Amino acid sequence: MASVTASSVSFAFLSAPTKQSQGLARGLVSLPVKAKSFGPLKLRNAPLRFRVSCAAKPETVEKVCEIVKKQLALPPTTEVSGESKFAALGADSLDTVEIVMGLEEEFGISVEEESAQTIATVQDAADLIEKLCEKKE
Amino acid sequence: MRMQCLDTKFFTSSTSLAPIQLPSRMETHLWYVIPNEVKSEQLLNKYLEFLPKSEKEHVFSLRGDELQKGALLARALVRTTIARYQINQVSPRSLKFRKNIHGKPEVDWQQIEDWHPQQLHFNISHTKSLVACGVSTHNPIGIDIEEKERKIKHSISSFAKRYFSQQEVQLLCSISDPEIQRQEFIKLWTLKEAYVKALGRGFSGSPFQTLTIRSVADSKESFHLSESSSFENSDIVVESLEDSANLTGDWQFALLELVGSHYAAICLRKDCANKCSHPMKMSVWRTIPLVEDEYVSGTDSVIAVGGLM
Repeated sequence: MASVTASSVSFAFLSAPTKQSQGLARGLVSLPVKAKSFGPLKLRNAPLRFRVSCAAKPETVEKVCEIVKKQLALPPTTEVSGESKFAALGADSLDTVEIVMGLEEEFGISVEEESAQTIATVQDAADLIEKLCEKKE
Repeated sequence: MRMQCLDTKFFTSSTSLAPIQLPSRMETHLWYVIPNEVKSEQLLNKYLEFLPKSEKEHVFSLRGDELQKGALLARALVRTTIARYQINQVSPRSLKFRKNIHGKPEVDWQQIEDWHPQQLHFNISHTKSLVACGVSTHNPIGIDIEEKERKIKHSISSFAKRYFSQQEVQLLCSISDPEIQRQEFIKLWTLKEAYVKALGRGFSGSPFQTLTIRSVADSKESFHLSESSSFENSDIVVESLEDSANLTGDWQFALLELVGSHYAAICLRKDCANKCSHPMKMSVWRTIPLVEDEYVSGTDSVIAVGGLM
């Protein structure tokens, strides 16, 4: 692969969108808060984020990230988070199946095919895992 | 309007988009691009110009240059190829795609005025090192390619038990050499994926497990699958536990080795008039869109493994 390096294929001069993440992660809701009734205070424009119930614990998300990185042989420095889409990381159908199998082993759960089909992001996987773990108890 | 407002750069170059003949009814065409052969930034940017905003955004949403290049080549390949079949009545840029109810991509011809093309079906598959597009007329097609050397991290038998039919599991588990077992697994996986994609119903809508795909030796009475000859020089047949006319006997498979590095499976729905099993007639080209084509059927780049003429 030496003949094709990242530097020889660059789309830098094209107008590529700079935002890495597309929109909000599932389970997070953004509410702009404008404090109109406050006098001299500066308006607060930063969105507040509320976690909708049933989002997974950070540790679960972390574990899923690890498993995904391992399956896709991503360099350890790769940024993988809840929002990361499997497909965007380069997972094909076989990878996705292996990832699901890896998650089953790690968490001692069994994922049905219909549910597995709905997993598109790390967050999806983590949420499903916690749901299935809860059922076990 | 439209065609008049030329992409002038694009039409004036004589090598840009040579028209090609559509495949006949029971024939398939397979086009592939080797990403390593496409190095010119200028060329890649030309490809990018073919893509509408949404496809461009998708390409750039992928992580890393390699993935982005692969996705770009896949879109460029499908757009230029389909445009060429229309004898340049449409430009790659003006093609519109949509998804059927189950999410399978297809061409949206309604968007193009005054053009009523023959029924053209296509399907794309790609790996890190190869991008392929299969084309047929009148009959849905599905293709899947995998690197021959792809390593499976989990045990083949656990995979097989989960996704394959009982007979297939038995067959795979009976192979003692792990390397041969892995290869046979990959071949079977690509065949099943090609079937799922031809069906266009998505993974869960397809009877992965109740469908057995196997090769048939020349003698019709019984078939004998030895470790080394599972899918070589023999027909590939499909059996369904459900015995549904919709599934069995309606699909034709071919398996081949591409450029020594990939297995490629093609699944084509059989013509209603043509129920008996014929090997699939296929033409294969290596291509660099806008630059060159090379017909490679019959060369070392294409080695039939099963189901092909």
